[in-house]
Amino acid sequence: VSATPALRVVVAEDSAVIRAGIVEILIDRGYEVPAAVGDAASLIQAVAEHHPDLALIDVRMPPSHTEEGLRAALALRESQPDLPVLVFSQYVETRLLAELLGRNGPRGAAGVGYLLKDRVGNVAEFIDALSRVAAGGTALDPEVIDELIGAGGRAKTLDQLTPREREVLCLMAEGRSNVAIASQLVVSQRAIEKHISSIFLKLDLPPSDTDHRRVLAVLEYLRS
Amino acid sequence: MDASLGPTPWALVVGAPFTHRSWRELLYALVAFPVGVFGFAFVVVSLFFGICLSVVVVGLVLLAFSTLVVHHLGALNRHLVRRFLDEDVPPPPPFQPRPGVVNWVRSGVVDRAGWRARAYLVLKFPVALASLIAVIALRIVSLWFVLAPAQWAANVGTKDLKGDAGFHHYVINFGSFYFDTWQRTLLLVAIGLVGWWLAPWVLRAILYLDRHLLADLLGPTSLPSRVHQLERTRAGAVDEASARLRRLERDLHDGAQAELVGLAMKLGLAQEKLAKAQQQHDSPEVAQARRLVDDAHDRADTALRQLRDLARGIHPLELEQGLQPALATLAARSPLPAKATVTLTERPSPAIEEIVYFCAAELVVNAAKHSGGSAVSLQLAQDGDLLRLTVADDGVGGALIAGSGLSGLVERLSTVDGELKVASPLGGPTVLTVELPVRS
Repeated sequence: VSATPALRVVVAEDSAVIRAGIVEILIDRGYEVPAAVGDAASLIQAVAEHHPDLALIDVRMPPSHTEEGLRAALALRESQPDLPVLVFSQYVETRLLAELLGRNGPRGAAGVGYLLKDRVGNVAEFIDALSRVAAGGTALDPEVIDELIGAGGRAKTLDQLTPREREVLCLMAEGRSNVAIASQLVVSQRAIEKHISSIFLKLDLPPSDTDHRRVLAVLEYLRS
Repeated sequence: MDASLGPTPWALVVGAPFTHRSWRELLYALVAFPVGVFGFAFVVVSLFFGICLSVVVVGLVLLAFSTLVVHHLGALNRHLVRRFLDEDVPPPPPFQPRPGVVNWVRSGVVDRAGWRARAYLVLKFPVALASLIAVIALRIVSLWFVLAPAQWAANVGTKDLKGDAGFHHYVINFGSFYFDTWQRTLLLVAIGLVGWWLAPWVLRAILYLDRHLLADLLGPTSLPSRVHQLERTRAGAVDEASARLRRLERDLHDGAQAELVGLAMKLGLAQEKLAKAQQQHDSPEVAQARRLVDDAHDRADTALRQLRDLARGIHPLELEQGLQPALATLAARSPLPAKATVTLTERPSPAIEEIVYFCAAELVVNAAKHSGGSAVSLQLAQDGDLLRLTVADDGVGGALIAGSGLSGLVERLSTVDGELKVASPLGGPTVLTVELPVRS
């Protein structure tokens, strides 16, 4: 995935080493980084000042090192629902996901990403996720998806899905487009569309525009 | 006398009243008397008013306040004994009121150390009085006896008696025995000398009693309070260990983990550059460099994952927001369908939260591995000062503590007086219950 040139990203990360690394990667990929800050208050200020196209936020930041970053992300989404935010966290926490995705109903998942921090070391995946979120999509860490798929605590509705449909839903949850899913599973786009309508049917999602149902399906998946 | 032999026993006995120690005991008796009188008066007056006024709440407040004062009076008495008699009595458990005015008053009224101190202060009064008599009266009388011949000769304060038994010009009489000759006044001198010599011994005997009273009533003595103290220090140790682990986790996160992520990012960039370089100009060296960097990147990834697991084992970050989200995340991650229900009225201390979390994690993994069931439920409830974690599955049962990972849990629980109960009949279901205090 090639980066859109001159996309402006504000980075909030308290570790100087990681912050510098991220900025290096972003600049290498042609992004602009008007501000890279180390705490939540400076983040809010930087966003107000620079109006970036995306905010990249670490969950755990000073002063309490618990979830200042998440609070800041939610506050930013509250005041600017269209601002894409990519949040990274030290570990998978379903509650953070639910807060991040569930805040504004189904729309809350648009332009939201949740990555494990370790992922930023994988440059291609990181940039891929970043550009998807910047474009208004959703990006969830594969490990997040793995844990949720592997976990037993799914609602009964998901049990009705075939393994293939689960795979497709899993990729949808990662925020991939039909084309991307088709190419990843090495099947035709037509086949993917069939799977998706079957998923919508089984999850009992009301007919509406596809994007909307798509997000609902993902949310169902995440919440169950 | 040969110094190396030290004083002879004879010299010890005769000289005892004139040693440094005796003088300090004398000083103690003098100083402790007013303190004893004040303590006695304070306890009597404060108890009188406290009890009389306890029908209106003021009395209870007064009693609680007087508990503070008697603690200080007790400390003063211990200080005097340490200063003059070299007797070091450790203090009883300090007055530790619970927060809130009502609780403060209640703690003050029922404070055990306070009541023991009152008992001491009351008993101390006759003892202090006796000490003073031993110090002053006995010595004054002895001195008077020693001076008796002079008094008799000078005719100062002597008495005369004319009776059936004849005429007596005397200094003092013991019943019908009159000290009315100079030979007899010499006998008084002897008695006076013995009395002067005896006075310190009498005082020492009284102070022996005083020391025992003090050690019994103003010290920490009883087993329950000792146990209480041990529990407190152990709780301190448990909390301290847990705090140290949290710091360690923080240090790992800020240090090694951040550095490794930084390293992985650099390697990731290098990978991409090398891939491009290979496209432009393929050579065995570039291919080899690419393999090396790929390998290095994989290793950094592995190290990161291991470090993350390690940090999680040291202190689960999930706990920062409390047990509710932590157990919910645990349930969501469980390989066996799991549901977590948490009802807490307060947040337990960090060390307790950690133990609960590790217990829950272990028990859920255990259920998934061994039960053969289809679902597991996690329940955490608070019952007063007690936390109860119940992990139940619908499996085949037959779970035992011995020889499984559960014995580690039992050990960990025992540091906070927690316990694990297993109900797992053959054929199931298995219900494991962990009970532990809300605070360590």
